[in-house]
Amino acid sequence: MQTKLLTEHYDKPEFQTLEGYKKYGGYSVLPKALKMDPKAIIEEVKASGLRGRGGAGFPTGTKWSFLPANGEPRYLLCNADEGEPGTFKDRLMMERAPHQLIEGMLISAFAIGSKKSYIYIRGEYNYPTECVRKAIDEAYKAGYLGKNILGSGFDHDMDVYSGAGAYICGEETGMISSLEGLKGQPKLKPPFPAVQGYLRKPTIVNNVETLAAVKYIIRDGAAAYRKYGTEKSPGTKLFSVSGNVMKPGNYEVPLGTPLKDIIFDLCGGLKPGRKLKAVIPGGSSAPVLTADEAMRATMDYECLAQMGSMLGSGAIIVIDDSNSMVDLLDVIMHFYHHESCGQCTPCREGTGWLSKIVHRIHHGRAEAKDLDLIKKVSEQMMGKTICALSDAAAMPAISFVTKFRDEFERHIERNPSRTQEEAHA
Amino acid sequence: MPKIKINGKEYEVPQGSTVMQAFHEAGISIAHYCWHPGLSVAGVCRLCMVQIEGMPKLQIACNTEVKDGMVINNTSDVVKETVKWILDFHLINHPLDCPICDQAGECGLQDHYMEFGAYNPEMAEDKVKKSKVVDLGPTVVLDSERCILCARCVRFTDEVSKTHELGIFNRGDRSEIGIVDGKPLNNNYSLNTVDICPVGALTSKDFRFRQRVWYLKEADSICPGCSTGCNVKVHYNEEGLWRIKPRVNMEVNGHWMCDVGRSTYKYVNIKNRLLSGRVGRRDSWKEMSPASTARMAGLKLKEIVEAHGPDSVALVLTGQYTNEEYKDLLVYFVTGLKSKNVYHWINNPEKINDFDGLLFRGDRNPNTKGVEAALKRAGVQGKWEDLQAALSGGKIKAVVVAGPEDQSVFPDMEEKHAMFSQAENLIWFTACPSAVLEKSGCETFQIPVKTHAEKAGTFTNYQGREQKFPLVTTIVPQALTLSEVAEIFSGKELNWNLRPKSLGGTKNNYATTERGAL
Amino acid sequence: MSLVKRPSPVAAWYLPGILAGMWFTLRKMFYNLFNRKKMPTLNYPEEKYEYSPRFKGNHILTVKKDGSIRCTACMLCATNCPAQCIKIIAAEHDDPTVEKYPISYEIDVLRCVYCGFCEEACPVDAIRMGPEWQAAGLNGSKFTYDIQQLAYRPQLKGGIQSVLDDTERHRAGI
Repeated sequence: MQTKLLTEHYDKPEFQTLEGYKKYGGYSVLPKALKMDPKAIIEEVKASGLRGRGGAGFPTGTKWSFLPANGEPRYLLCNADEGEPGTFKDRLMMERAPHQLIEGMLISAFAIGSKKSYIYIRGEYNYPTECVRKAIDEAYKAGYLGKNILGSGFDHDMDVYSGAGAYICGEETGMISSLEGLKGQPKLKPPFPAVQGYLRKPTIVNNVETLAAVKYIIRDGAAAYRKYGTEKSPGTKLFSVSGNVMKPGNYEVPLGTPLKDIIFDLCGGLKPGRKLKAVIPGGSSAPVLTADEAMRATMDYECLAQMGSMLGSGAIIVIDDSNSMVDLLDVIMHFYHHESCGQCTPCREGTGWLSKIVHRIHHGRAEAKDLDLIKKVSEQMMGKTICALSDAAAMPAISFVTKFRDEFERHIERNPSRTQEEAHA
Repeated sequence: MPKIKINGKEYEVPQGSTVMQAFHEAGISIAHYCWHPGLSVAGVCRLCMVQIEGMPKLQIACNTEVKDGMVINNTSDVVKETVKWILDFHLINHPLDCPICDQAGECGLQDHYMEFGAYNPEMAEDKVKKSKVVDLGPTVVLDSERCILCARCVRFTDEVSKTHELGIFNRGDRSEIGIVDGKPLNNNYSLNTVDICPVGALTSKDFRFRQRVWYLKEADSICPGCSTGCNVKVHYNEEGLWRIKPRVNMEVNGHWMCDVGRSTYKYVNIKNRLLSGRVGRRDSWKEMSPASTARMAGLKLKEIVEAHGPDSVALVLTGQYTNEEYKDLLVYFVTGLKSKNVYHWINNPEKINDFDGLLFRGDRNPNTKGVEAALKRAGVQGKWEDLQAALSGGKIKAVVVAGPEDQSVFPDMEEKHAMFSQAENLIWFTACPSAVLEKSGCETFQIPVKTHAEKAGTFTNYQGREQKFPLVTTIVPQALTLSEVAEIFSGKELNWNLRPKSLGGTKNNYATTERGAL
Repeated sequence: MSLVKRPSPVAAWYLPGILAGMWFTLRKMFYNLFNRKKMPTLNYPEEKYEYSPRFKGNHILTVKKDGSIRCTACMLCATNCPAQCIKIIAAEHDDPTVEKYPISYEIDVLRCVYCGFCEEACPVDAIRMGPEWQAAGLNGSKFTYDIQQLAYRPQLKGGIQSVLDDTERHRAGI
């Protein structure tokens, strides 16, 4: 069963508007938070064990405490550039409950002492952008944004920035570059954004879901939040399930829920007569799980890390036996080739190289040694670049080729176009 | 001062320096492309990977600050393997056109490949095709295929010249360097981008295809283009000078020099030079050897001084000669001839204090400070008005002019020549033939002198910094330096055995041009 | 310094030696007169020897399919030449796919030692050493071969085509 914490009222259309939101208890946590000591909020978030929902899973409270304690202006950026293939949870949250995000952001901004925040929404999300814009207007009119919010003396401005649809702008420093008006390319770390980010000022970048969850942590307290999920991965999480299941969609469950339950109970299982072949548990950049592994997996940071994969943004892509893994890897590699920003050499050249090799395999112009080459190239791309896009491309490549090697080999061996070409030669 | 360990040896480096700087300071070789000491850190080539104890992943040396007790290694197998692969990534889309690439011979990719390369390329895919021979502006040509996207040129236009002409367009392996908004790369520092390009992507239109770099020798020198006195390297062979590149001197020019300075090699080459002395006037010139011309001129001077007294001769100096030459000529003139009529010809007094904020100065003489100091030391500081008055009054019978080496920076050449021609005799030292002198109306001695590249000496730049430079090569062996002229004037003979005679060494395939027809 | 020994009195009797030598010549003359086909000498210049195709004779500059010169003016041959007899002046071509080409390519054949290093150094099969070997000429002949002579002399019948084609290389992504 779903555990609806964030998505409790998502089925009600009026939840989108300020009135509807207030009807279901909206903006009731903000006054409480504004009366708290900002440090106490950070401590509360730390105690809740909330981890970033965008992909890396970095503890949010710890991230906030990295901010230098000087008087510099600081910024809160909401990362709504949801580009990971398979993920569509932020979109739902912005469409159904923009005020929930705004409230969460206001609490977070108050906690870190920021007077200005931006919501960076990916370019393709027209409707969510519209929803969030409208909600911000409403919040300004109702006095939840602007000067002296609710008489607390806390000023805050919020703005929406629409990206141009580049995957790399979902990376926090890439997003900061894009927001600054530069080419969307990740920046060198160090300095980290918490020290020098947007306009070289301390900046905190958090995912939509993370910021929304802050509201519930403050509402119920860290201990209550910790009741959900596991010891090391507390809380609930939205999972975007797609692929060959009967009922794909967003599902909110506590972390630590078995993957089996999500696929077979919540999503109604596979199509009749089909067998589970593989599952990508955390968006296209997460290493793939075989059917066996997927049956054993629980959806939390630790279990998946132990299995060599990752929770990522929580995009579960279910693959049944009607799909070719070669085909799938070709698509994924093409995506990363297209989305590499071209800054670091291993990624710029490596993604192109991988894409070309996999494309060749797909079209039957390959040899078995190309599989080893994929592994070699991928290994050399891992951990060698500024951001994680290179790793994101390399990890699925390695896992696909390792875990489904026989399928790739069979594809290479019995490929029709290859024999055609040989006959031609 | 943090103490660090590089490859097992201890070093002490300044606080706040990066690992890359530590390597350079310690003189340990480390592969890199995008890092340049004069630019910001980009960290994109990923070639400077080092292993630092306590860090799980390899780190780039250019963006890692040293900490006390750091143990760094760049010779371990992991690092070697990584550098090999990253170099391979650089090369997989790089075209194999070294034979027609101007950078071949001084190319970062070639050097690094020899040192770190994976000699068994596994790339079997088609290479990415990009545009070739892209015209970026009046001075630079781009070949996008050769480009490794280190962004040095982009950072240069952003940070040093601050003209922002270049940018990287497109994404991934389709990225290309290009000009922003169609604004051509047209600034006075554009050719620095060619210097800092580690591969042959940016080539200079001026030098393109004219020589292979392995035919060139290089020598240190000082740029004569303006009073900044940039430290340069002159690339030359037996046919003459081919190009000028900056040499690092943080106190004068940093890593850069301007395009104007780079073109100062042109008038030095033999086809632009005055090869023999010329005596006479308009339409009736007699050619003779420079030394004979000087001897004749010297006798003439002595004659005039004996007849009309020492005040009947005047010496005009430009700021284009070396301190040593000024000294010798002034000794002859002030002590020998006992004349006090020495004047300093300032070519463009209204622009003399101009400065473009980076390197280029309005005073286009390399040694204005030097000539001023020399005049002061000799105790002669003639006012220009006095010379004018004396000339129009007919008191001066002969003017000796140490004329400009680079005539293009002397816009008042004709005007001044007309003024000096009021004297009956004009002795003019010049490195290049001049149309103004050819039309001379009075008795004129044109004495060919050597250019800055053909003599050793000292220039004093605008800071008052005396910069010595050695002889680069000899292009016109018979031409004289002012010191030699002073010697001849005072009646001594030159020791011809001690003078640099011909061009040093033999060029590859030199003989084909020398023998001629059978 | 070597000492010259006086011949012994016996050796001073040179007549038998001379007769033996003359007899050898006479015998060969008769042999050749009656076995003309086995005679090893040729009546040059009426008759000429056929050398193997790999003979390193006069240089040839190859051409592309369109008849233009193949050489890219990389100057590797000139760099490699031990006799330093090759002189090339490069220039920029109007066609950006060609980029660089020689406007002057001269070989001083009197300096050339016919070692073939230029052929070995060439990355694009632009220079070969052909089977022609008669480089003789009268005083005043031109021994500095230029492009016209090297690539388009009448014996080459419009030029020898290079095996390396740029369009094919570009297609292969080289």
